Amino acid sequence: MEMSPQQPFITTKLDEFTKWAQTSAIWPMTMGLACCAIEMMSIVSPRYDTSRFGAEVFRSSPRQSDLMIVSGRVANKMAPILRQLYDQMPDPKWVISMGACASSGGIFDNYAVLPGVDSILPVDVYVPGCPPSPDALIYALMQLRREIAAGGKANVLARG
Amino acid sequence: MAEVKAGRAATAALLAQLAADLGASLLDAVSAADMDEAVIVAAGLLPAVDAVRANGFNLLLDIGATDHHPLTPRFEISYHFLALPEDAVAGSIPSSGVVPARFRLRVFPDDRDPVVPSLCGRWPNADWPEREVYDLFGVRFDGHPDLRRILMPDDWEGYPLRKDYPLRGLNRRFNPGGLPGPVPPVVTK
Amino acid sequence: MSATDLSIFENERDLTAQPGDERDTLVLSMGPQHPSTHGVLRVMLRLDGETVVTADPEIGFLHTGIEKQAENLFWQQAVTVVDRADYLAPLSNSLCYVLAAEKLLGIQNIPPRAQVLRVMFAELTRIASHLVQLGTHAMDLGAQSIFMYAFEMRERILEIMEFVTGARMHQSWFRIGGLAIDVPKGFLDKMDDFIGRFPERLSDIRAILEKNIIIMDRLIGVGKMTAHEAVEWGMTGPILRASGVAYDVRKAFPYSGYETYDFDICTRTSGDSYARFVVRLDEMYEAWRIIKQAREKFPDGPVTIDDRKILPPPKTEIQHSMEALIHHFKLVSSGFNVPEGHIYQAVESPRGELGMYVTSAGGNKPWRVRWRPPSFYNLQALRKLAPGNLVADVVAIIGSLDPVFGEVDR
Repeated sequence: MEMSPQQPFITTKLDEFTKWAQTSAIWPMTMGLACCAIEMMSIVSPRYDTSRFGAEVFRSSPRQSDLMIVSGRVANKMAPILRQLYDQMPDPKWVISMGACASSGGIFDNYAVLPGVDSILPVDVYVPGCPPSPDALIYALMQLRREIAAGGKANVLARG
Repeated sequence: MAEVKAGRAATAALLAQLAADLGASLLDAVSAADMDEAVIVAAGLLPAVDAVRANGFNLLLDIGATDHHPLTPRFEISYHFLALPEDAVAGSIPSSGVVPARFRLRVFPDDRDPVVPSLCGRWPNADWPEREVYDLFGVRFDGHPDLRRILMPDDWEGYPLRKDYPLRGLNRRFNPGGLPGPVPPVVTK
Repeated sequence: MSATDLSIFENERDLTAQPGDERDTLVLSMGPQHPSTHGVLRVMLRLDGETVVTADPEIGFLHTGIEKQAENLFWQQAVTVVDRADYLAPLSNSLCYVLAAEKLLGIQNIPPRAQVLRVMFAELTRIASHLVQLGTHAMDLGAQSIFMYAFEMRERILEIMEFVTGARMHQSWFRIGGLAIDVPKGFLDKMDDFIGRFPERLSDIRAILEKNIIIMDRLIGVGKMTAHEAVEWGMTGPILRASGVAYDVRKAFPYSGYETYDFDICTRTSGDSYARFVVRLDEMYEAWRIIKQAREKFPDGPVTIDDRKILPPPKTEIQHSMEALIHHFKLVSSGFNVPEGHIYQAVESPRGELGMYVTSAGGNKPWRVRWRPPSFYNLQALRKLAPGNLVADVVAIIGSLDPVFGEVDR
């Protein structure tokens, strides 16, 4: 983006403008699964305050959100629902896999828990921790912003 | 029959009544470290529960199951009861709190066809725990109005908390790589 | 009404039906992704206009297999998975499990310092849990700012937790035979700071909420439950006490030395959502009183029992003593055996009587850890409480029941 001091307008490319818009207002979906959901709620609390990054508007409907934070273990019963919610989100959309359980099943290597949410969703950023601290989630959000700025879905980390 | 510890007057009376009411259905009565308990056969459950309730045990705390496989009898259904004094429930609140008692019934149903009478007619909150035991252990409850899976998906196969059910399940539906099998295959790049 | 049974979704409207008629109803599926279900609950509501005719909660969307997982870990290791059941009050869970295991082992001599710290942290957990309930419940009712106040206070508790145990939420700090580590230097200063600040903060929230006309309008008379109904439905904790029954496990069956603390059982008699809300506010104050007393009596001494068969020797000893090394190796590689038996242990978790029916077959792993999850039973009563209310009130009732799905589904 270029701004000239003499002229009261901005010149930019459409691509860059879109990326700027996408990085500056990531709206996560209100979907709490387990323990991590409490830490996810904490990021809007006064101490962490994600409104600094334009990501405090938690949307209750998947139709209005850009980002799905998979916050907790995904049970076999929940997996199809999660996929349906993801399909309902409009493009472009991103997924943060928050915590050990969502990323790999964590300590629950058993019949009930999905061994990583990336077997049903394409994940953009993984956050380690059980549960990750809100700082870690904010760092993941920053990482996601960098990723979007660098080219959006072109270089996702997930196996899809 | 084991001796009853002192200081458990409510349960002592109950144990005496159980012995009189049930006769041969009462297999054992023990004064365990945490509370008094009675072991009964499945057919004697409803009369036993009526006696328990008549002795002031008005709150059904829990219905749980344990799989003792490979021992026989295999399944144990444990019922925990709590007696809250009637005057406390009626609204006269003692400031120091009520002095309740707990009691446990243990039932060992038949191995090949595990069926236990349902307590749904006695306590409304027996519904969900009985469904849970059915879901995770495959023990059926005779007389339950709506016995179906509660925690696992409806189309799940097997009863996960049985000891002969592997920890990782028989067939994970969402394996990375999509291959069925008891253990998820190792994903290599 | 199962997930695969789609007939429930058919809302064929019969135009000949009159209002109030059985056929003139609509089925609404609320959840599993819904902001006010506090997790993954689905409620099938049958509505007549805006009035709920029947409500059928469907659970299991967070079934984690914790009970099965605990059977496959050593006794001491299982503390970690036990923590993750009720994730708003992890220490209450591990306290219950640890007490049960200690009773099976016959351990009586938990050092006083460990006892006091257990009580102190269980009560801190209670405050933190009630704060989350308060904040999210208020948010359900439309009061955004309370969430901010509550979480700001909760952060102070989590800060202490992190300072002492290294983890904000799943501390796994209580161990069979004592505590994992002693508190670090500067702990008492932090506690004094918290004890000094908390009552004022709490009274701030009280001042905003307790006589707030919107809160009172939304909660008074909603989801009413008499004492007899509450007993019948197996309710415990704040919900039973809000109906007027003064039952508290800490008083009735004291554990960890609760009998030496001076605190009251908070009760209300109206049994509605407002009563539950006020009972929780009162309980936070009582928890603060217990913490204050624990701080005053805070004794010196060890935080673990001196039994090398249960807990490993200190690191410095391992470096010198062969025997200590063997003990350590044995504990890490195969744990310890617990005598055969079964026991029911209950603690007063923030949601009610949290019981564990632990069976040991004599091995180094628990044979069975059966939970008595309070919110499982509390949530079940939604079928009783919701009918007759408006849809918006269902949200208020769910919030006042305070279910935690990690515990409901395990």
